Amino acid sequence: MMSPAALIRRAAPVLACIGLLALWQVASLALKNDSFPTAIEAIRAIPDILGDKESLINILASLRRMAIGFGLAVLASIPLGLLMGRSRGVAAFFNPLLMVIYPVPKAALMPIIMLWLGVGDITKTLVIFLGVSLPVIYHSFEGAKAVEEKMLWSGAAMGLSPAQRLVRIVLPAALPEILTGCRTGLVLALITMITSEMIARQSGAGNILFNALDMGQYDTVFAMIIIVGAMGICLDAIFERVRARLVRWSEPQFDIPLSFS
Amino acid sequence: MTVVPARSSEWVRPVTSQQPASAIIEIDRVSQVFQTSARKGHVALSDISLTIDERAFVSILGPSGCGKSTLLYIVGGFVSPTSGTAKIKGRAITGPGPDRGPVFQEFALFPWKTVLGNVMYGPRQQGVRAAEAEAQSRTLIEMVGLKGFENFYPKELSGGMKQRVALARTLAYHPEVLLMDEPFGALDAHTRTRLQNDLLNIWERDRKTVLFVTHSVDEAVFLSDKVVMMSNSPGRIRQVIDIDLPRPRRRNELLLDPRYQKYVVDIERMFDDGDEGGPAL
Ligand SMILES: Nc1ncnc2c1ncn2[C@@H]1O[C@H](COP(=O)(O)OP(=O)(O)OP(=O)(O)O)[C@@H](O)[C@H]1O
Ligand SMILES: [Mg+2]
Repeated sequence: MMSPAALIRRAAPVLACIGLLALWQVASLALKNDSFPTAIEAIRAIPDILGDKESLINILASLRRMAIGFGLAVLASIPLGLLMGRSRGVAAFFNPLLMVIYPVPKAALMPIIMLWLGVGDITKTLVIFLGVSLPVIYHSFEGAKAVEEKMLWSGAAMGLSPAQRLVRIVLPAALPEILTGCRTGLVLALITMITSEMIARQSGAGNILFNALDMGQYDTVFAMIIIVGAMGICLDAIFERVRARLVRWSEPQFDIPLSFS
Repeated sequence: MTVVPARSSEWVRPVTSQQPASAIIEIDRVSQVFQTSARKGHVALSDISLTIDERAFVSILGPSGCGKSTLLYIVGGFVSPTSGTAKIKGRAITGPGPDRGPVFQEFALFPWKTVLGNVMYGPRQQGVRAAEAEAQSRTLIEMVGLKGFENFYPKELSGGMKQRVALARTLAYHPEVLLMDEPFGALDAHTRTRLQNDLLNIWERDRKTVLFVTHSVDEAVFLSDKVVMMSNSPGRIRQVIDIDLPRPRRRNELLLDPRYQKYVVDIERMFDDGDEGGPAL
């Protein structure tokens, strides 16, 4: 038997979702606005979308671009961030560059990238890549900078070369921080994925959403919002599982309950 | 409780009393000046010259902030001195190496590795096969009294336990010179005594060179052949005292030995006479 407290904890996310949907339903019924369908109408449209082969191909294409963009960004950003964190020279070189890129919404670069590379997969993947890179670089940089010097000294005394120290000491020591960056990056990948498809309409989940908007199919629009939201929640949950497993050694042992009773 | 490390035979050489002691570490007029925003040109070490004989146990004793750790880092090759030279076996020290094994005041364990993983790290790096490295490491872990904690992560250990892991991790790769920075500082009196005995046992068998930083006069006299007394601001060597007590040393015998007591009292008095006060005990 689960204790009542544990039961509530388990059920909490489900209850939150139901509450949100109920609120939506009531608001929509009260407002009686054509462009604001009820929750039930939106949910009813979901099977139509997922049942349609064309739509499914679109959504899978989105996910593929996102996975490639995210994967390449992580592969490139972690080494760069770690090097920046351990070498003043590298940091001095890349910091100004990143400072310039940081505040620019990556989607705003899309028109230019489209001019160069067309409206296809490469452009969209590149925009996702750019969106993911910055938080991962930043967190890798901060993580590497914070690595205790004596830990590196211990490694050096055991005969690890500078490159070995970077891979075998700085990388694992900074991993919790790096994965925090990756988690932010994952959400940003989803956002830039949709935005890129809004700008360069051709295929993808964003394409379905904005086409439906143009045609006034508001139940489809909201169904797509639910689908994208659900994808985000699932990806984040999976990532969190992996993350927790990788950095078990650094997690605080007990979560101290904040009692509200 | 104490066990011979598997590769100890490499270290055991017949030591005859007639054999002239040869210097393994030579520190020649070393000074260390730190430039910080708060203090311009802070002299941490001033004109330190010290020779450490092969297989000697040398303690460095001095008040907090007198540069003991800094001196150890210079010998370790982690810090290069502002001026002067440090040599090991006649070669200038230009960087860290597995011939010198540090045990840091801050432990500096690898938090993503278990106790066993930490201790095995050095031997594995040195190319010892996994099974062999593990067997040796388990022996060492048992020796420092952590049997049963092999699969614990550092965050799950107390301060004293971490310190013992740090000691085992360094012993595991058999450095010729041990550089120990207050390795027993965070231990309770009982464990401290036990580890002092264990360290002496290992040392009397293997005869590595040990450079040992401590705040404790008793500990320094009990363990050492030589006690280097340092003074503060700037860090200087005040006096080097040879501890002429028989070995192997047994704690219960030594505590009653008037010669031991005299060393302790004399050293404490010397610190008291100094204007910078005694070492924090
Ligand atoms: N990296 C550094 N930058 C600036 N000053 C430093 C640095 N490292 C040490 N110092 C200064 O040098 C002096 C000696 O420091 P050190 O750590 O060697 O002392 P210590 O004798 O080991 O002290 P304790 O017994 O408290 O460990 C101190 O005054 C300290 O403030
Ligand atoms: Mg110190």
